[in-house]
This record gives sequence, structure tokens and C-alpha cells, in this order.
Amino acid sequence: MLSFIKRHQVILASVILCLVSLHLVSTTRKGTGGDVIVRSVLSVVTKPVQSTLIGIRSKVVGVWNGYIYLVGLSEENEGLRRTINQLVEENNRLKEELGLNARLKELLRFKDKTPVKTVAAEILGFSSFGPGGEWMRTLAINKGSGDGIKAGMPVVTPQGIVGRIVETNRFTSTVLLLTDPRSNIDVIIQRTRVKGVVEGDGSGGLILKYVRQLDDVIPGDRVVTAGLSTIFPKGLLVGEVVSVDKGEDNFFKRIELRPAADFRRLEEVLIVTGGGISMKQGKMEGTGAHEPFGRESGRKRRKPL
Amino acid sequence: MKNFLIFLPVTILYLSFKSTIAPGLPLPDITVLAVLFMAYERSSVEGVVLSFVLGYVEDVFNGGIIGTTAFSLVFIYAAVHIISRRVHFSNPSVRAALAGTLTLTKGILIWILLSLTDLDVPFLPRMLLAATVTGLFAPVFIAFFTWLKAVKIPGVAGGGQR
Repeated sequence: MLSFIKRHQVILASVILCLVSLHLVSTTRKGTGGDVIVRSVLSVVTKPVQSTLIGIRSKVVGVWNGYIYLVGLSEENEGLRRTINQLVEENNRLKEELGLNARLKELLRFKDKTPVKTVAAEILGFSSFGPGGEWMRTLAINKGSGDGIKAGMPVVTPQGIVGRIVETNRFTSTVLLLTDPRSNIDVIIQRTRVKGVVEGDGSGGLILKYVRQLDDVIPGDRVVTAGLSTIFPKGLLVGEVVSVDKGEDNFFKRIELRPAADFRRLEEVLIVTGGGISMKQGKMEGTGAHEPFGRESGRKRRKPL
Repeated sequence: MKNFLIFLPVTILYLSFKSTIAPGLPLPDITVLAVLFMAYERSSVEGVVLSFVLGYVEDVFNGGIIGTTAFSLVFIYAAVHIISRRVHFSNPSVRAALAGTLTLTKGILIWILLSLTDLDVPFLPRMLLAATVTGLFAPVFIAFFTWLKAVKIPGVAGGGQR
């Protein structure tokens, strides 16, 4: 018996660990559970690495844009090139600051108009899960439990909903993106007030579910949060309908949405820390909270997001 | 196991790099290559445990369902352990083909597990791209791992059962 175990110890260990893994899968399904200690340790270890890598990337991009493109000009233009280099560098810096300024102004404007308490955070990095990297998506931000961030808090931008906090550590938090298949939100179609549930489709898009065949939905309709759950305040823009199909069954339509927030270009986000979670239903109505997304009526179409 | 513990910081660095510098780019799957290297170089219970740990770390870091990558990497370790009794992976093209196949296997296993947990995820063609990229880079990374192992403990490069 002992010799059998010794001879096949690798296989036996593999079988045991496979079973342990399956147990973990079954206990953490639909969530991002797992060992809090491992997450905290990983967060502490990776935050400086990620910050350094982002810094290196910015420097490399800066050097590339500001210098390498200019190498190769004739020697007669050396002085001019130096000036151009300086100007390009300064221009890049100013452009970057201008962009940052505009983004922060927009965030501030949104924050002022929103009757909930929010905390601004910077994005540390995007993580993707699955071999193609598109099945599940989360992002790491630089605010954690030390800043009052808790799991379940909504994460938004002036453009629309980004997702919700699923994990917090002392210094960082993990945001489950809207497009993740585990994400689902009660929504309402702004034009017709038809209700439904939006889920991530696992490939960067959104699916609007439980809308009956009778209901009036057309491409271009804007979809906002219904405020039925206790997580997201009412009236935040979720996305825009891009296609409406009859679907496989006779009851519900198959509706695809494009997320309002452009996740590829996110750099700063707002976390709704107060009012968003325990806010009374409809509190945001009439307060102008969803004006940044444009309140519209009738069949008037919006510009593409 | 001591020889292979270097793969833990390498994996964390790789995941940090992937999430900051190159999100969305098809990069070779370092964890699959590390597991392939460990199983081929010296099969042991410690290697299985480290494969599980690498998968667990990848799951935690990427915010996926905990256990899915861990399961697939342990499965891959066992598969390489069994295959390596009959096949020698000394030829770079054989290594590349095996690495590509194993990456595909990892993707399919994760996809099956996610489907079993009622998460409807598309069977992406990018999985094939990831497998191809991993296969193409496999000889380079395996050479790098061999060097890394030799640097860490001089005189044990290529040391093992084969």
C-alpha cells in the first residue's frame, strides 16, 4: 500500500488538489470570495509593482512621443530639434495636465450634481480572467478600506456606471466591472420606462434581460438604473441599446447594450460611499442627478455614446 | 520545491505587467509554461502544490472564480507528468506544440468549469490566439527558466530525473 502511494504520489496529490480546487469553485461561484489574507498580501505586494510599472510606462511613452520620433533629423537642425523636443515634452505635459484637469472638472461637476457622497479614486490596473482575457473583468483602484471603501459600493463616472466594489484591502479595492457576467443591475429604459435586468455578456458588452416581446424598445434607447436594488441609486446611465432581436423564446426579447462608460479609457472613477447604498428609492429623481446624462423624452435620439 | 519557488514572484510580476503595461495584449501564458517546466524537469508532490498555488494566485489576482485556474494547472501538471514518461520534450518545436496544446487545455477546462457554475461565457477565438502565442514563446521561456534555475542554484541546471 505504502509503495503504491509512493509510486503514484504525484498523481494522488494532483487528484486531491483537483478536488480541493473544485470545492473552491463550488464555494466561491458567482463571487470573488477566496482567502482575505492572500488577497491582502497580494495587494500589498503588487500595488508598488503596479505603480512602478505604470510610472515606467508613462515615462517610456513620454520619451517615445517626445524624443525618439525626432531622432534622425539633420545635424543643421540640432538646435531647432532641441527646441522642438522641449516644446513637444512641454506640450505633452500640458496636454496631459489639460486632460487631467478636464477629467477632474467633469468628475467634480458630476460630484456636485449628485446628491450622494463620493470618493474619487485612480485606477491601478485592469485584470482579466480567462485565456482570451475577456470573460471576466475587474479593475484595481487606489482607495481601500482605510479610505472608508466597503464591498458593494457603486463605482461611477460622469459617463455612466462602471461597476461595484467586490473586495477591499487597506490600500486598494477591486471593482467588478459592469460587463462581467457576474454583474446584474435592475434598470429602466429612459424613454418608455420599461424595466429589465442588465447583465454582462462576458465579451465586453451588456445584455438587457426580461423585457417582454410587447414592450417598446428600439436601438438608441438609453438605459438607466431603476433604483430597485439597494446598491445603485436611481437614474445613473448604464448604456444604450444597440440591437433588439426577437430572442429564442416567445416571452422575452434579446437586447444588446453598449456600456455608457468606456472602460478602455478610464483613469479616474468615483465611488459612491454614502447615500448610494442605503438611499431611499427615488431620492435622486428631480434633483438633477441624472442631468449629466441628459434627460430626454419621446423618441428623440441621442448622439452616439 | 525550493528550486521552483522563484516562479511565484515571476508569476506575480507577470500578472502585474499584464494588468498595467499590456492589458488586452496576447501574452504567453507564463503559468502554463512554468507548470510545464516544473513537471518536465522534476515531477514531485511539491511541484503539484506549487502549480495549485500559482493557479490560486492567478485566480485571486485576476478576480476570477477561485479554483478554476488552480484546477486547470494541477490537471496540466498531472498530464505532463504522465506524458513525460513516454515523450521527451527536448526538441523546441515539440515544446512549442505541447505548450500551445496545454494553454488550449487550460482555457477549455476553465470554460467547462465556468459553464458548470452557470456562468454563460463565450468560447472565444482568442483562446486559440493565446495558445499560439504561448506555443511560439515556449522555447524562449523554457530556456529562460533553465537559466533562472541555474542562476538561483548553480550547478543544478537541467538537474532532475531526466
